Amino acid sequence: MATVQAQTILRDPQLFYWILFPITVVMILTGVLRHYVTVLMQSDPKKQELNAISEQRNLLRGVNLRTNHNQIPLSSFIARKNYLVAAYNRGDFLKDPENKGKPPANPMTDPAGMDQMMNMLKGNMAMMVPQTLIMGWINAFFSGFVIMKLPFPLTLRFKSMLQSGVATRDLDVRWVSSLSWYFLNLFGLRSIFTFILGNENSADQMAQQMQQMNPAGGNAMFAPGQDPNKMFLAEAENLEVVGGQHEWVLDGVVDRLLKSRV
Amino acid sequence: MAILKFLLSYLSVHPSPLRNPSTSLHLSQQAPAFLSSSESTKDTQETWLIYEQLLLSCLRTGDDNSARLCLQRLSDRFGVDSARVKALTGLYDEATSNSRGELESVLQRYQDILKEDPTNMPIEKRRISLLLSLGRTEDAIKALTSLLSHSPNDAESWAHLSSLYFTQGLYQQSIFCLEEVLLILPNAYNIFARIGEVTYISSSTGAGSTDRTEAFEEAIKYFARSVELSEWYLRGWYGLKLVTGKLIQAKPSDGTLGKTESLNQLATEKLVQIVSKFRRNEKGWMGFDEAEVLAAKDLIDRDEQRFSQ
Repeated sequence: MATVQAQTILRDPQLFYWILFPITVVMILTGVLRHYVTVLMQSDPKKQELNAISEQRNLLRGVNLRTNHNQIPLSSFIARKNYLVAAYNRGDFLKDPENKGKPPANPMTDPAGMDQMMNMLKGNMAMMVPQTLIMGWINAFFSGFVIMKLPFPLTLRFKSMLQSGVATRDLDVRWVSSLSWYFLNLFGLRSIFTFILGNENSADQMAQQMQQMNPAGGNAMFAPGQDPNKMFLAEAENLEVVGGQHEWVLDGVVDRLLKSRV
Repeated sequence: MAILKFLLSYLSVHPSPLRNPSTSLHLSQQAPAFLSSSESTKDTQETWLIYEQLLLSCLRTGDDNSARLCLQRLSDRFGVDSARVKALTGLYDEATSNSRGELESVLQRYQDILKEDPTNMPIEKRRISLLLSLGRTEDAIKALTSLLSHSPNDAESWAHLSSLYFTQGLYQQSIFCLEEVLLILPNAYNIFARIGEVTYISSSTGAGSTDRTEAFEEAIKYFARSVELSEWYLRGWYGLKLVTGKLIQAKPSDGTLGKTESLNQLATEKLVQIVSKFRRNEKGWMGFDEAEVLAAKDLIDRDEQRFSQ
């Protein structure tokens, strides 16, 4: 073909009222429903025992020392560093000192781990079930025709996905069926959910995906399957490394102050 | 809506109303109006925070009835077994108790709660404060140390321990605790100023004159850091002016005093500016504490007198 001619199809204006609108409304409603169901299904955070809390917080203390070591004089820092490194190496803060050498607790057997996994599972279920249902509904009722024209061009490979019910060869890929309107809504309704439900709503699947991809920031130490002894030893090493460069923030503060104010 | 909004805005302007008797009084005077209004039944986070603040300020000013009502509503909403509600109930009982025996029974109650549930931090903190009000400072220090051994990230407890050590005259330990606070909150300019103050005060019990000038110089550095972080921090400038003045007095004929003198001058300028604008009630300058401004004015006048003599 020499040039691709612009293809226009005349559409019934009632398309808007009967198809676009209902799909959007249904998706908003299921999103809201999903949010509240997730909130109700979440179990309360389990209470931890004192030695578990102590383990986590003392590890955090090492992290704080490493991050903010420039705020205290060198002598104070060295005293604290020596104490913490010795304590970590001895395993003073461990919850179960007998389990020092053993492999980390299996999430299947450890009750604390089970809770967390169940929560994640429930969240995923709450995501997937409505999505599947709506897609099935759309395929059942709204297939076999194209509904709108995308404002941007796409390659031919999308044809099978976006024009699922309409099997023509020449139809421009920009003409899409209602399933693609569903996909557009899926990503676009996030801001409406934020408007209705406030910032951290569970109807937001983007946040969930990012959480799964995020390589264990704060969750690392609290998730099961992590060996606390190894983490303490790693933190002890980090502290040793940091000890080399110490720039007390109070060195030269008088000069800085005079320079900036006078 | 009106009274809820008013209280919220009041609390945002005065975030810790209990430090000042006049703000506590204002707040507790609003309590009866708030409690009888319909907005007090709204179930939002802000409402309950206001309840807590009202409870504390009513206890402070002696309005026990309103305090009782606040406590009642809080325990209805959150259950009597919630850790925070238990601590507030204990606080109410301590405040309204009439004899030492009653206080001792409250203390016993705290010990029983902690035996069942050693992770109840609000009750642990209440117990420490009660030990202090009973005068058992050493027991309080011991209890605080054990709290900090399982929760070393609690800046409030470190600061509390520091003030306890300070009252006992153990200045080095006090500074240690303040350094721990800095590790948790590295930009806490008030802590820098506090370390400066403790260093300066500890120097007055120190040995020879070289110790004293070294301590002065260290204190000056801490104060300088605090005003570097917060330009109009009155306490920081006050400390800077005071200690630089003392250092100049202690080493009168030394050639190395140039920086100290410029610091002293800078501090004086800032203090004069703050005092004059506060006294003229200029807009934007009224956030300072009046007592602190008066102390600053006093210091300025004293130094002027000394120079003019």
